[in-house]
Amino acid sequence: MAATTVLPRPKAYDDSFFKPISLWLTTTDHKLIGIMYMVTGVLSFVVGGIFALIIRLQLAQPNLSVVDAETYNQLISAHGVTMIFFFVTIFLTGIANYLVPIMIGARDMAFPRVNLLGFWLIPVSIILYYSAFFTGGALDAGWTGYAPLTEKAYQSHSLGVDFWALSIIVWAISGIMASTNFLTTIVALRAPGMKLTRLPLFVWAQISTSILLLVVGAPLAAAMILLEFDRQLGTQFFTTQGRPVLYQHLFWFFGHPEVYIMILPGFGMISEIIPVFARKPIFGYMSMVMALFGIVFLSMTVWAHHMFTVGMNTYVETFFMVMTMLIAVPTGIKFFNWIATAWWGSIEFTVPMKFVFGFLATFLIGGITGVYLASVPVDTQLHQSYYVVAHLHYVLFGGSVFTIFAGLYYWFPKITGRLLNRTLGEWNFWTLFIGFNGTFLIMHTLGLEGMPRRIATYTNVSWATTNLIITISSFLIAFSVLLFLINVVRSWNGGEIAGNDPWGGNTLEWATTSPPPPYNFERVPPVRSFMPLRDLRESGEFVDPEAIPALV
Amino acid sequence: MVARARATFTTLGLAAAALLLSSCGGLGGIAPIFPTPVSPNGQDIYNLYLLISIPAIIVFIGVEVALLWVVLRYRRSRQPAGYVPPQIHGHNGLEIAWTVAPLVIVLAIAFVSFQELQKDFQPINNQQMLVVVSGHQFGWIYTYENGVVVDQEGTLAGNVTPFVVPVNTLIKLQFRGTDVIHSWWVPAISGKTDAVPGYDNFSWLKISQPGTWRGECAELCGAGHSTMQIIVQAMDQTDYDQWVQTQLAAKHASPSPSPSTSPSPKPSASPS
Repeated sequence: MAATTVLPRPKAYDDSFFKPISLWLTTTDHKLIGIMYMVTGVLSFVVGGIFALIIRLQLAQPNLSVVDAETYNQLISAHGVTMIFFFVTIFLTGIANYLVPIMIGARDMAFPRVNLLGFWLIPVSIILYYSAFFTGGALDAGWTGYAPLTEKAYQSHSLGVDFWALSIIVWAISGIMASTNFLTTIVALRAPGMKLTRLPLFVWAQISTSILLLVVGAPLAAAMILLEFDRQLGTQFFTTQGRPVLYQHLFWFFGHPEVYIMILPGFGMISEIIPVFARKPIFGYMSMVMALFGIVFLSMTVWAHHMFTVGMNTYVETFFMVMTMLIAVPTGIKFFNWIATAWWGSIEFTVPMKFVFGFLATFLIGGITGVYLASVPVDTQLHQSYYVVAHLHYVLFGGSVFTIFAGLYYWFPKITGRLLNRTLGEWNFWTLFIGFNGTFLIMHTLGLEGMPRRIATYTNVSWATTNLIITISSFLIAFSVLLFLINVVRSWNGGEIAGNDPWGGNTLEWATTSPPPPYNFERVPPVRSFMPLRDLRESGEFVDPEAIPALV
Repeated sequence: MVARARATFTTLGLAAAALLLSSCGGLGGIAPIFPTPVSPNGQDIYNLYLLISIPAIIVFIGVEVALLWVVLRYRRSRQPAGYVPPQIHGHNGLEIAWTVAPLVIVLAIAFVSFQELQKDFQPINNQQMLVVVSGHQFGWIYTYENGVVVDQEGTLAGNVTPFVVPVNTLIKLQFRGTDVIHSWWVPAISGKTDAVPGYDNFSWLKISQPGTWRGECAELCGAGHSTMQIIVQAMDQTDYDQWVQTQLAAKHASPSPSPSTSPSPKPSASPS
């Protein structure tokens, strides 16, 4: 018998914190690209958070002038753009980049070089956006950039809108590349036995997310291109003489599905984490998948609920209202299935599981306030007030960010080979949970009383204490994120060694080493259900990847 | 020792809370509902908000209690040693139940919302008065049919010129934007209406009692957005008539006040 070639495990894939820069710049490995996406996302989170803290300082008391109104408008725009485009979406693309190929038993993404290009467009997009700060001021019309405020007639002082529009076009191209790549990978590169009905729910979530971004990325780019035509070529699409509301239709046709692009991967992560720590299979796998596609379909039919005050026909408004409310149905199915999964379980409240329950407790509030906002008459009161700011942070922070933390604590051992410190993690969770609710809960009532969003300051002294509490709580969030960053750096350098499967996982990523080798698997394990690793563990067939000579 | 330390902390905490409250005025902005409405359309929205709150609060409490129950009852430390959870993959009856129940609730909410939409959000034609409300960077100009013009130019202090209306009069508001999009919002009266350049938008009010109510522009419109304050003052008919006479007299005394920025209230272009 011929001696098998024993491949040494490449130095680059050890678990050390620092790797050569040339490797990072040229790699087509989906895992390293995934890490770069995630690091970019977390850095954006920090930058966007600093913007938020300055905003909160400005609003801590009435009539403050920490920053002037023009700077304030640039800060709220940069906060929104950074968090939505450069943090949440980018981070989630990264974690999917890392996990999807491993979860389906593939060796890499279908188009590794497209993957590389798609990632490197993101720094281009980010640099384009921030460079506007050095050309007289960045975008100052909110992250939505409503025309005609973004038109040349009202923006004579800066090129901020142009840089933003270009940045978003590049971002959309990158997103379309990533989505195509994900869909091709999942369709074409599944391991033998990995039927569609055996895909982990995180992979299903990524399919639905990719379909959404593929459909709505192009209209977003179109809105930006038309806006640039107006600004640079003198057309009149969205100007005061044109049709400003057309811009809102185009923007929100992207903007609302974007909300689901930012939460569906989180739903996927929750669906992976609960079964592992409750020691029960996911409740209602097929209804979970159908609910995902229900959300995908409905989310593309609801965009005008952001425009209930522009004066549309009431029957048109009714259509968008009903479709919006219907989203509560598939979301409710997912919610109840998660609770049913945990019911009768034997739940281990590790840090990721705490974040899962933090997510469930807060996202529920965001879901319920969403029904109020969907009701057209009530929305005319709530729209563009702090109630909306509270709602969107309950779904984006209590939703997406809590799922991101859950996912990070859960998969960090796989990515780095080391566990995040548990004590710091507990502190991270509780300070974030308290800080988050302290910041955003009373924003609902401020909005009900009449505080509009995006105002640079306010004269009403009775809002002072409430705003001060919000500002103090927001610094508690900052403290929590600081704890998290310390935890990441400390644990990556010298945390407890995780082993291949620290949690007793169900899916294939736990069947390889931590971190996995470049080719992910020496032998792809057989797949007989949507919990392939658990099957192997129970049947006693599982072979520890560390015991395979090629990996030692 | 412990008791004394606890007492000290309590005192310090109370003192800090008292300082926080006293230094910053009253604790406003924590009411769970809109300000008491003074116009029937605002009242209808208020009632609808209350109606939606019934299922909302039931669902909220029900689900949070279920979550709390899971957290407290099914944690591993509460389960007997060696407990193996039942391996349940789903239950058709339950899954159908929690598909249908939310469906019924949201359709009911949609139905009552639709009724309110038909009742209060159609453009009206039976108004007793028409006022053209024109938004610009950064202020509002109210043009009455009788020629009175109120220039509510925004100020940092928020003490803008009030928009004066008679009580118990159905007033149609016709909104237009002359530069960017603005949004007219007085929470105690009713919801927002956008003032968009290019077409006219409509709303109405019928204030039941004399008084003054505040609002602000609710659509980011530039650096002066937060200065675009709104004050609506409702007067008895006699006071209002007197106010109109004063305004008209002042207007004739100085022939060109400066309503040059305000457009004439000509018939509107049709909404796009």
